[in-house]
Amino acid sequence: MDLSSASASQLDFSKLSDYEKRELQQNLQNEMQKAKIQESVHNLTDICWTKCVTKGISSGTLDRTEESCTQNCVERFLDANEAVLKHLEEMRGQGGV
Amino acid sequence: MDSMNDSLSASSDPKTAIIRQIQQEAAINNARQLIDKMNNHCFQKCVPTPGSSLSKKEETCFKLCMEKYMSAWNTVSRQYISRIQRSSAGGNGGFGL
Repeated sequence: MDLSSASASQLDFSKLSDYEKRELQQNLQNEMQKAKIQESVHNLTDICWTKCVTKGISSGTLDRTEESCTQNCVERFLDANEAVLKHLEEMRGQGGV
Repeated sequence: MDSMNDSLSASSDPKTAIIRQIQQEAAINNARQLIDKMNNHCFQKCVPTPGSSLSKKEETCFKLCMEKYMSAWNTVSRQYISRIQRSSAGGNGGFGL
């Protein structure tokens, strides 16, 4: 978010109290986390659409198979992500990396 | 994005202004990302061989596909958020993307 830092220079933060600064920081962190989650949802939808919507488009909703495929897709992708991290950790423990 | 700078200087409270701007920016970013991916996937699905113009059939397909992609997005979002909540409730804060 480089635009936020650009506009931050236009604002006078010296008037803020320490409490307000902490509050602002907390708010910013919340927004960043929200943005990160949304980013992940975009990424997952991209992947799971390719995996689960394999037929032609005949309706504007997911059918039951596609729906449960998508749900499984999200869960398994995150499992896989955890498995990768876990295995990397093991490899590091063995001095493999 | 002049309108954003206007709203920034118009507000006397820099704290509210900066958060509002960041929220606005995140929303735009989010929408852009969705449109981008939707366009890619639905083009893939609905226009297998591009003709000299978009046919009625292709247009109808696009409409359905957009609705379908958004419902996939919502399904993924629900599943992902419930996963995050489950893993943080279980004391296993090791999710990450």
